Amino acid sequence: MITFDEFHLENGLKVIFHKDVTTPMAIVNIIYNVGARDESEDRTGFAHLFEHLMFGGSKNIENFDAPLQLAGGECNAFTNNDITNYYDVLPAQNIETAFWLESDRMLELAFTPKSLEVQRNVVIEEFKQRYLNQPYGDVWLELRPLIYKTHPYKWATIGKNIEHIAEASLDDVKAFFFKHYSPQSATLVVGGNLEFEEVKKLSKKWFGDIPARDKYVRSIEKEPTQIEAREKTIERDVPSDAIYIAFRMCDRMSNEFYVADLVSDILGRGDSSRFYISLINDQKLFTQASAYVSGGWEDGLFIVSGHLMDGVEMNVAEQAIWKELEIISGEMIDARELVKVKNKFKTSKVFSEQPLLNRVMNIALFEQMGKLAEINHEIDKYDAVSQEAIIVFSKKTFLKTNASTLKILSKK
Amino acid sequence: MNRKLAPAYEQAQNLQLISPEKIELSNGTIIFWMRDVKDVSVKLDVEWNAGSKFQSKKLVASFANKLLLSGSENHTAKQIAEEVDFFGGYTQLEIDKDHAGCVIYGLTDNFKGIFNCFTKAFKNCEFPASEFAKQRDISLNKFKVESQKVKDLCRKTFTQNLYGPESSYGQVAEESDFHALQREDLQVYFKEFYAFAPILFLTGNVSDDMIDLIKSWALSFAPAPKVAFSQAFNQTKGRIVKEKKDALQAAIRIGRMMFDKNHKDYYHFQVLNTILGGYFGSRLMTNIREDKGYTYGIGSGMAVLQDAGYFFISTEVGADVKEKALEEIFIELDKLKNELVADDELTKVKNYMLGEFLRQADGPIAMMETFKNIYFNDLKDTYYSDFIQAIHACTSLDLKDLAERYFVKEEMLVVIAG
Repeated sequence: MITFDEFHLENGLKVIFHKDVTTPMAIVNIIYNVGARDESEDRTGFAHLFEHLMFGGSKNIENFDAPLQLAGGECNAFTNNDITNYYDVLPAQNIETAFWLESDRMLELAFTPKSLEVQRNVVIEEFKQRYLNQPYGDVWLELRPLIYKTHPYKWATIGKNIEHIAEASLDDVKAFFFKHYSPQSATLVVGGNLEFEEVKKLSKKWFGDIPARDKYVRSIEKEPTQIEAREKTIERDVPSDAIYIAFRMCDRMSNEFYVADLVSDILGRGDSSRFYISLINDQKLFTQASAYVSGGWEDGLFIVSGHLMDGVEMNVAEQAIWKELEIISGEMIDARELVKVKNKFKTSKVFSEQPLLNRVMNIALFEQMGKLAEINHEIDKYDAVSQEAIIVFSKKTFLKTNASTLKILSKK
Repeated sequence: MNRKLAPAYEQAQNLQLISPEKIELSNGTIIFWMRDVKDVSVKLDVEWNAGSKFQSKKLVASFANKLLLSGSENHTAKQIAEEVDFFGGYTQLEIDKDHAGCVIYGLTDNFKGIFNCFTKAFKNCEFPASEFAKQRDISLNKFKVESQKVKDLCRKTFTQNLYGPESSYGQVAEESDFHALQREDLQVYFKEFYAFAPILFLTGNVSDDMIDLIKSWALSFAPAPKVAFSQAFNQTKGRIVKEKKDALQAAIRIGRMMFDKNHKDYYHFQVLNTILGGYFGSRLMTNIREDKGYTYGIGSGMAVLQDAGYFFISTEVGADVKEKALEEIFIELDKLKNELVADDELTKVKNYMLGEFLRQADGPIAMMETFKNIYFNDLKDTYYSDFIQAIHACTSLDLKDLAERYFVKEEMLVVIAG
């Protein structure tokens, strides 16, 4: 059970406090309602590049990291298609240092040309390291534009290509900041052995005078329903052939999300999953096969993927995957199998909620999704998934006309 | 309110470490139990002296470990996996150069079921031919994927040349080793190394019944003989280049053999390492990432195994700037030898490290890890409090002296892959 208290500042900043008396550490986490989906198509990768620039000094503080380290803290951040999240972890008695640092960069960044120049290079190296210089590293760069035709989910958080990052200008940076980094677009979550009144006082002191600025209103057209099978085949210098099939599905806020998550566990989680038993163990067609839910909050994805065993024909492997999808869409699953994936979820949930940082981040994410009140109902929602719901979901999702297939052939 | 003025802060206080309870059984098996856990999670770590250094043929130790739950004709891997999963359990087979074993995760109300599946599978482990063949295919595929990465190529070359080809630690598997491996090798290895009493680390608020069950299983083993193992190392010095055509980045690894955690220089060297490359504000990050933009990340560290310790710097940089990056790395090493670290930087690093201790020991699972560090490295109970005192006492003269003695360019192995 995750407990919390919340309040708003006059400038629109929402503050949530989660008390934990068992740890000497405290966390200040700020989530901004901006992700790669808010970029324009000729400036992709910008939200993520911007995240790097947030560490390049702010209006009154030359260096973000040094004062935090001096107070025994450390920090990090991540960007995805939907949001950008920043956090600082430090000894609880030094919590005010994080308030000071985070509020100053929300007030205004330093916008130095040097910071932009260097971080452009750093992000380009990140692009190479994670997406281009790794076998199968470019899968999502290829898959996204196949799945999404209009929605900004069609590009990856890192960006469409290196050129977009290389061309980012200081004017772009400033405009992006004032458009997206306002108190109204952010939620501050504080966790640790503190008092709510103290958190209120510090929030008002450091964030209270930040101007509200204009509220950004997102207007992204919904991706049209897919009505035809899509497929792309590419050749790469990789050790074995691979296949990725992406199915469009519900958004993250929908109750169907929980059904989808359990279906992915039934198919692809662990050594007793259907893919492992059938595709790897019995038929020996794959050396790895997985199923998982992914994609953005607005328009989710169910991904099925696998690496083919040497000598196996692509069409044979593909048909075997479809056979499994047909089985789960047509035959009622055994009660024991459903209990199994629910039990596994319960165990992982307990472990995942152990670190304070995970709890604090979950609060931030649920708040941004607009479902904070439901944060403690996840287990009930998984428990409520019925055998029938598994069939209903599978039947409507696992259709050829709802599938985007990427085949990677190994250049031998 | 003056936003230019940093709020007051205090140095992190001493660590409040909790040691696990020690239960020693008549056959010498030791169970370390951390029972003060606030939630229903249970983690059991079972470890044997069965790491890869003991193998006489490459890959045998890792395959014996991977197939620990592969079952037999009558109790198949498929059944074992299904049973563990049904109880909501997770098992993680783990191996390093010294130890090997299994970590089991579950909840208090289902842990008995998970543990019983594990012990039954372990008892009946026969390494069935079909499971062996499947695991070989799966592992070989992973191996091939990894082998395409410059980082992997660099790390392997570094390992071989750091320890030397005659040593156990310096052995690196190749594709042909997968084909040379026989199922019988695993059976022999299992009998030789998994037949003796393991060490158990239990973190969880479990019932007395559960403890009794674990004890009775642990008592079924023969007492573990004292490990008699030694190896000689022969580190290469100087530069080794591994070409990889068309690579966009080059992986770099620089390092040398060092001492273990009981050495008098260990604590202060950790301070020196943190300044050089041990945190985000380190000199290497500041220069090579935050000033030059040559890399997404660079770091340094010290690794201590049972028979050897080493220091290393590791990064991946743009292929066109690899020589420049190397030059800057050695400039940073020289600076630490030639110039005293300024007071404000030293204070920052000390405070950061004190905070890092708190982060590393946050919660019972993390505390068990700190305890394992003391146990496996044969350290004094006062290791962490001594470490903290040593950090407080460390001066910039101490650091310069250490840098002069250990950051000797001629002693370094430099591997570049890309």
